[in-house]
Amino acid sequence: MGVPAFFRWLSRKYSSIIVHCLEEKAKECNGVRVPIDTSKPNPNEVEFDNLYLDMNGIIHPCTHPEDKPAPKNEDEMMVAIFEYIDRLFNIVRPRRVLYMAIDGVAPRAKMNQQRSRRFRASKEGVELAEEKQRVREEVIRRGGYLPPEEIKERFDSNCITPGTEFMDNLAKCLRYYVADRLSNDPGWRNITVILSDASVPGEGEHKIMDYIRRQRAQPNHDPNTHHCLCGADADLIMLGLATHEPNFTIIREEFKPNKPRPCGLCGQLGHEIKDCEGMAREKRGEHDQFADSAPTAEQEFIFIRLSVLREYLERELTMASLPFPFDFERSVDDWVFMCFFVGNDFLPHLPSLEIREGAIDRLVNIYKDVVHKTGGYLTESGFVNLERVELIMQAVGVAEDNIFKKRKEDEESFKRRMKEKKKRMKAEQRPSFLLGGQFAPQALGGRDRPQPVHNARHAAFDMRMNSRDQQNRDAAQSLKAMMRNGNSSQTPTGSSDGLDGRGVKRKAEDSDSEPEPEDNVRLWEEGWKQRYYKTKFDVDVTDETFRRKVVKSYVEGLCWVLRYYYQGCASWKWYFPFHYAPFASDFKDIKGMFKEFEKGTKPFKPLEQLMGVFPAASGNFLPETWRALMTDPDSSIIDFYPDDFAIDLNGKKYAWQGVALLPFVDERRLRAALERVYPDLAPEEVKRNSLGSDVLFVGKSHPLCDFIQELYKSGTGEGTEMPPELCHGIQGTLNLDEEPILPDKPVESPVPLLRDLVQNQAIGIKFKDPHYQEDFVFKAVILPGAKIPSKVLKPGDWERSNQGPFKPQLGFNPNRQQAHLDQSAFRALGHSMNRDRQRGGHYSNAPPPGNYHQGNYHPPHGGPMPMYPHPRQHVGLLGAPPPPFNVQPYPRQPYGHQGWNRAMQGQGGAYQQNQQRGRGGPSGYHPRHDRGDPRGPAQGYSSGRSYPLPPPPARRYNWN
Amino acid sequence: MGSKNLRIAACHPTGHVVLPPGKIRVMAEWVRGRDVVSEFLVQNPHLAQWMESLRGYCETNKQWRARQEFILRNMETFPSIIPGVYSPSLDQLLSLSMVWANHVFLGCRYPPGLMQKVLEMAEGIVIQEVPVRQMRDEIMGKGKRSNPSGRETDSSTKKLKAGGNEAESNSGVRAVGRAGGAVPSKTGPPPQAAAEQQPFFNRLYKSVAWKLVSAGGFGPNLDHFDILRACVEASKASLICVFVPLRDIPDLPAGCAQREGQVCELRCRTVYMGTGYGRDEDSARAMASKEALKVFQGRKVTVRICRRRFQGRDVEDLVLQDEQARSSALPPALSYPFPPEQPVTPPP
Repeated sequence: MGVPAFFRWLSRKYSSIIVHCLEEKAKECNGVRVPIDTSKPNPNEVEFDNLYLDMNGIIHPCTHPEDKPAPKNEDEMMVAIFEYIDRLFNIVRPRRVLYMAIDGVAPRAKMNQQRSRRFRASKEGVELAEEKQRVREEVIRRGGYLPPEEIKERFDSNCITPGTEFMDNLAKCLRYYVADRLSNDPGWRNITVILSDASVPGEGEHKIMDYIRRQRAQPNHDPNTHHCLCGADADLIMLGLATHEPNFTIIREEFKPNKPRPCGLCGQLGHEIKDCEGMAREKRGEHDQFADSAPTAEQEFIFIRLSVLREYLERELTMASLPFPFDFERSVDDWVFMCFFVGNDFLPHLPSLEIREGAIDRLVNIYKDVVHKTGGYLTESGFVNLERVELIMQAVGVAEDNIFKKRKEDEESFKRRMKEKKKRMKAEQRPSFLLGGQFAPQALGGRDRPQPVHNARHAAFDMRMNSRDQQNRDAAQSLKAMMRNGNSSQTPTGSSDGLDGRGVKRKAEDSDSEPEPEDNVRLWEEGWKQRYYKTKFDVDVTDETFRRKVVKSYVEGLCWVLRYYYQGCASWKWYFPFHYAPFASDFKDIKGMFKEFEKGTKPFKPLEQLMGVFPAASGNFLPETWRALMTDPDSSIIDFYPDDFAIDLNGKKYAWQGVALLPFVDERRLRAALERVYPDLAPEEVKRNSLGSDVLFVGKSHPLCDFIQELYKSGTGEGTEMPPELCHGIQGTLNLDEEPILPDKPVESPVPLLRDLVQNQAIGIKFKDPHYQEDFVFKAVILPGAKIPSKVLKPGDWERSNQGPFKPQLGFNPNRQQAHLDQSAFRALGHSMNRDRQRGGHYSNAPPPGNYHQGNYHPPHGGPMPMYPHPRQHVGLLGAPPPPFNVQPYPRQPYGHQGWNRAMQGQGGAYQQNQQRGRGGPSGYHPRHDRGDPRGPAQGYSSGRSYPLPPPPARRYNWN
Repeated sequence: MGSKNLRIAACHPTGHVVLPPGKIRVMAEWVRGRDVVSEFLVQNPHLAQWMESLRGYCETNKQWRARQEFILRNMETFPSIIPGVYSPSLDQLLSLSMVWANHVFLGCRYPPGLMQKVLEMAEGIVIQEVPVRQMRDEIMGKGKRSNPSGRETDSSTKKLKAGGNEAESNSGVRAVGRAGGAVPSKTGPPPQAAAEQQPFFNRLYKSVAWKLVSAGGFGPNLDHFDILRACVEASKASLICVFVPLRDIPDLPAGCAQREGQVCELRCRTVYMGTGYGRDEDSARAMASKEALKVFQGRKVTVRICRRRFQGRDVEDLVLQDEQARSSALPPALSYPFPPEQPVTPPP
């Protein structure tokens, strides 16, 4: 969703939804990387069934990363993508399905956004290249050093659009990748892989949603499937909620603001291109051994637990004393719907609703009121009740005036504060001249006492001489420079007086009044509505018909978006044909504004969509005659491709936040123009332009493999229904692939860097989601048989329930054991901390982690016990962050929680891991510093009891 | 009078309607503000419905009226358009009308040739209160580059202003494109032109100065043309070279014995910068560039209106000079970018 602030808002308000991922890193042994065995239990103490990858979120950072040098060529990009998927797979470790979805042709409603993004990207790319060139010349002229320009084409990120050769190639590479992993990686052995490449229409995340929706609606679906969806878009949260699956988790890269970016010219950190000076690279490490290592930590991942978000929402949305029983699921849908008002990819957001200003909270309050009044919810399974929406809008509309005024006030006070802060900072700056040497100021109470001044007169003389020498050197240098540059009288240094006003202007800028974008609308002043319509739409406020038209389109848009999230694309043709939204107060009498969408609309073909979203500068991705339509002045669609366009900042500060005023595409004219150039397509292009199908892959040991092989042998498997019992209740229709991947048939590597796959064990076949009647309505309800995961949040009445202190849950497992130091670490600590500091030191108050004492208080058992209560309590091995020392050992709860470990029952591996872990941990070591703390041993004892993990006796005796 | 003119717009023998552009223009000036298009459509009801089908859903009445006028005026140049039938030539006209409307109402810019074409086609269409749009460069320029040229680059609205005279802008009506109704018919550049051009040449001065510094100073061994061109282009303008064989020049000074070779004149944004002579075009151009660069050697450059010879008569021309004005020795002009009936318009 086009609201970057949404995720930030959500994760601040509902902070417990976030769980940091634990990632097992590959170990290296004698320079050989030992691959991670992903068939082992998940270190995150949860087992996922299905992993869905919204591939565009992976392709973009892998092809043009922001925090490291870009890959040199397409092959390196592919390898980067493979590694990224491997990494995700290692973290999530799905056990049933891996679904990879690349964005295909999007609905028309999305096209405007895509268009504006691509037009901007194209312009920005050219600008960047120009600036690079300019600065490079300048730096080299000044004698700086820059690494030689790499001989590579500028990667036009616009090629990540369905229908380009790049995407076609990517699909091929991913097939190879899947076949390779299915054949060679033990963690992949039993999973089903579905690859939905760019030739299948629909946005990636919505193809995933379609898959989930259609699986849910068929009887064989397991209602307790644990889904994990990868992607950074905030709307994935909405989509996840919209499925009403109880176990739904989203994984995304942790958002770290202000990450340093390397300079695009010299590749060093710390400055931007425009400030590049071509300095020699600093050595990293004594022998420059860290030269290639990333300066920043690798991007980490976080989980977003939607089940926890649902808990939060339940608290917030539950309404008492309703005239009917409260249905939480319905109110979740309404909440999702209201979030669309604040922003989505398909509609501009309402001017009065700004997420940073608590718009969603405002909406929720209004919403509760409206539900009370009208006795019903706003939406049902993706269909909107417009009468009730109107009430919400009217309530917002009443406040609109005040919202705008408040916004202005906040802005002003923010500016004032910043100004004051700047002043303060300036005052705190050091003076411009400081005495050096023995006159240098010294801190009071510093370690070395100030010395009396010796020989002051001589010192003063030295300083004088020094500064004179410095001046002489400067003068000599500038003279030399002048001579080098020839006749210096023409350098503009002397002639800047009054000519350009640049020197003067700079001063004005510096004096903390940044030029403000002028705002003609002035929403905070009387008459704002009239001005808004006048400047944004170029109509008078009296033009009621036009205003109604905008409102009608917006209402249609809201219906379309909700339907898109809950039922799939209702119309491929519909789009919002304006650049701006109306006001909330304009939503009057909207009840009859929307009836139904046009039925049977078809998506664009990939190349048609390219013509619709690309600027003329990206025309090289298109066949020649098609490209000509974008540049020929006589072309009948030349108006779609302006060279340059205006941007309306619309109250924002940066160009990328503004509205790009691009013309809309006239579909009829586009199709008519393309009809004439269709015959020019080469066979290869015809193929790229056709609609493809999802492909399903399984490995040889998967039960489905034999079934598919049979189909290929008989050759008559057109439209065969997939037997759900073979594959965890997944249904679908299988069709033979024309160029299938078959077991024992070698797969050629499309990337020269990687070897051909000689011993292929994978099989692939075309897959189609289960089909439903056109008027089938996917119900937005929790399925019968679904178990709601146990609560994570602290119940509101916890204090009254007398259960002792509440123990927050940090990961997926409520009974997670904290990581801890082992005894040698404590020895080391005790050794390096001197005794008398112990009382006041950092660590003295910390009760020791409880389970260290189990050896002392518990008679050792004869050996490792074979039945552990839970196979995955021990995280320490796998790199859990060490807990703060003052964490209190919480009273353990009985192991009643079985939510996550269904898939785990057969995994014997966990036990071994545990045994090793058991040996390392417990011991008879007794840290000195806990003697003063009477709670320590007692807690140690109790927790020792609940974990009867005995150390192997032999070791223990050795230590003692 | 208006309706009389409209009746002239009768059916063409082949069945399509022709709206004589000339008449409409006269009328547009005359009625000023009355809705010509709707009057025309009232009298040609068979067209009205068809026209309405060409309207974009998101078009406002004002935008649509203007675009309708554009379409109706230019229909005769596309004789194969048959009302009610979609055809490639209709689409082309629609496309051109959209190019124009996008330029005027959204602020889009298209390649220069195309812009010129649609502005010519739109000649005489009057639009009240053209919206002011900010180009992307202008916004970017503010934050990133300290390039003040963003402001002066001829954005659509600026150009519109240049097109109309004061009377028009006072009444809030602007002629779009070149040549609205009321235009000063004086020969030569308008008096304010020199002042208008000055900021651009200040910038150019700066960029030339830097460029020369980087090239090691002004001297005989430079590629003067290349330097000048690069600077002009960096300032987002283009250098116009006019070549004339020496023997075709009527006003040669008497002492000149040469008769062969080429003469080149350089102009930028209609302002004269220098003249050079050479055996062929290249050397003439290089010489002219060198002359032009000499002007930049002073402490500043000034745009002035000077009298000089052009095709045997005295005309007023915009000339770039350094601070010591030596207007006496101006060579005769080889080109004259100020047509008598038009004001100075920077090329789109």
